[in-house]
Amino acid sequence: MADHRFRPVSGEKPCCDISKKAQICLCVVFGLLVVVIIAVVVGIVMSRPPPQHQEWKGAGTTAHFYEIILGRCYTYTQIVRPELGHKDCQKIGKAFTNAFLSKDPCSSTEQDYQPLMELTNQTVPCDKTLLWSKTNELVHEYAWVQQELFTLENTLLGYMADGLRWCGDPGSPEMNYQSCPDRRTDCSNNSVSVFWNAVSKRFAEDACGVVHVLLNGSVHNTFDERSTFARVEVFNLHPEKVHTLQAWVMQDIRNISSDSCSDASIKNLKLILSKRNITFTCENNYRPIRFLQCVKYPEHSSCRSKI
Amino acid sequence: MAALGRASSLLSLLPLLLVPAAGAGGARWRGEGTSPHLRSIFLGRCAEYSSLLSPELRDKNCTAIWEAFKVVLDKDPCSVFPLDYDLFISLSRHSIPRDKSLFWENNHLLVTSYAENARRFMPLCDVLYGRIGDFLSWCRQENASGLDYQSCPTSEDCENNPVDSYWKMASMQYSRDSTGVIHVMLNGSEPKGAYPVKGFFADFEIPYLQKDKITRIEIWVMHEIGRPKVESCGEGSVKILEERLEKMGFQYRCINDHLPVKLLMCVDHSTHPDCALNSTCGCGGSPVLLH
Repeated sequence: MADHRFRPVSGEKPCCDISKKAQICLCVVFGLLVVVIIAVVVGIVMSRPPPQHQEWKGAGTTAHFYEIILGRCYTYTQIVRPELGHKDCQKIGKAFTNAFLSKDPCSSTEQDYQPLMELTNQTVPCDKTLLWSKTNELVHEYAWVQQELFTLENTLLGYMADGLRWCGDPGSPEMNYQSCPDRRTDCSNNSVSVFWNAVSKRFAEDACGVVHVLLNGSVHNTFDERSTFARVEVFNLHPEKVHTLQAWVMQDIRNISSDSCSDASIKNLKLILSKRNITFTCENNYRPIRFLQCVKYPEHSSCRSKI
Repeated sequence: MAALGRASSLLSLLPLLLVPAAGAGGARWRGEGTSPHLRSIFLGRCAEYSSLLSPELRDKNCTAIWEAFKVVLDKDPCSVFPLDYDLFISLSRHSIPRDKSLFWENNHLLVTSYAENARRFMPLCDVLYGRIGDFLSWCRQENASGLDYQSCPTSEDCENNPVDSYWKMASMQYSRDSTGVIHVMLNGSEPKGAYPVKGFFADFEIPYLQKDKITRIEIWVMHEIGRPKVESCGEGSVKILEERLEKMGFQYRCINDHLPVKLLMCVDHSTHPDCALNSTCGCGGSPVLLH
């Protein structure tokens, strides 16, 4: 018989000249590789950190914000002003955070803070409201020593929020501890600024009798039309309730110049108030507060006395 | 109200044979009951102090500090000893800036005003373990677990009560950590004497001052405006204090009515003759003044 070897028919030529066994192996290896790649990709996608908070130019939410406001609420309602002992601090804390969590920190509105403001409503006695502008340290030292007058920061809500920063993020239920909008460089309708505008407005609206304001006679614009005092408080005093605004203008003790009460910006304030039917009185270097300034410079000539 | 127990002098042990104190409304003890929401106030104050007032204390673990503190809330209210607060103190203690310590008796409000929230001085109530407990009260019920919100024992009820033991421990630690010039503010108008010979300062602060870390002691005897000068430097109980410090080997000096503090007192008495300022004050009205 003739040696007839079968030759592969040209149409059935196998790939790459390898045996069937090797083909199977390759397929399996390839398949596994695909599976591994898919697994890795899925793994990366799943473990990728959630979208970061937005980045702003101002400092972030104060560390331990919630514990601080809760602690302050209880200290205020149980110790500082026990007549407010009925206030529910848990509810108040929640209302505060609900005002800004999961929201765009540049689109804050006064409505956001309405529930919080309702829960923290408080009556300040007539003649005891003390406003201020550019005298932060001095006015609060005075309010502490003297204990009868109320600055906004001596009311429950002001006390809770004083010195703190907060903001949320529409993409997250958490507070943004990394950064919060800066009023000037990011946006003016930020959570913190809107809060202070809202509470300042209410503070002014609730005032009655004689309202006092502590101003700084040693700065350029003693009455500054861009200040919260000017923009919000002066305009929200109710003339039917507030008959007089008395200004105490304090000058830096080391540099007592002329009569600050005659200053142009003060005249402007007087004009604004008279248009609203509110009497304006002004006193330079109100004595009790002058004493407070003297504590820092006891040897100064204007602090010399019979003591 | 003050830091309960802080200003009260440690009277001699009143024997247990005394009839139970009849507090207001038949309460068991003479002192105020546990402050409501104690834990929240505690944690809030701790958080605030460590993050806002002293950022360098950011590592303080307020939860751990609370856990260390609350062990006393399970103890019999007459069996709480200073050392029960040992862990609490060791977790919450921190250094006190040199020359900034301010001790006092009988003038809590004046001291806190003058200290200016730790900017000028750092009295005990401006140290973390002092700030946390200031104006608070706490104790377990006498015969049951759970806090007593009605009343808590004072030193007249029993010596080893939770609040007094806290302040004893805090005072001792405060003393130990004070360095440089030590200041003491006393009330020279206090009828019982400016320096209580049995009191927190006498019993729990002076003995723990570290002589090798102290340069000198400055005593300010302040007299309330318009009130009698009961004692001044070198007189009465102040003399006793001076002699004691001398015996202990401390350098000291005593000043009556330290001027900056006196000026602070005048804030509330600006029209009193003792507070008359001279004419360069720049005070008073202007053409705009209408009253």
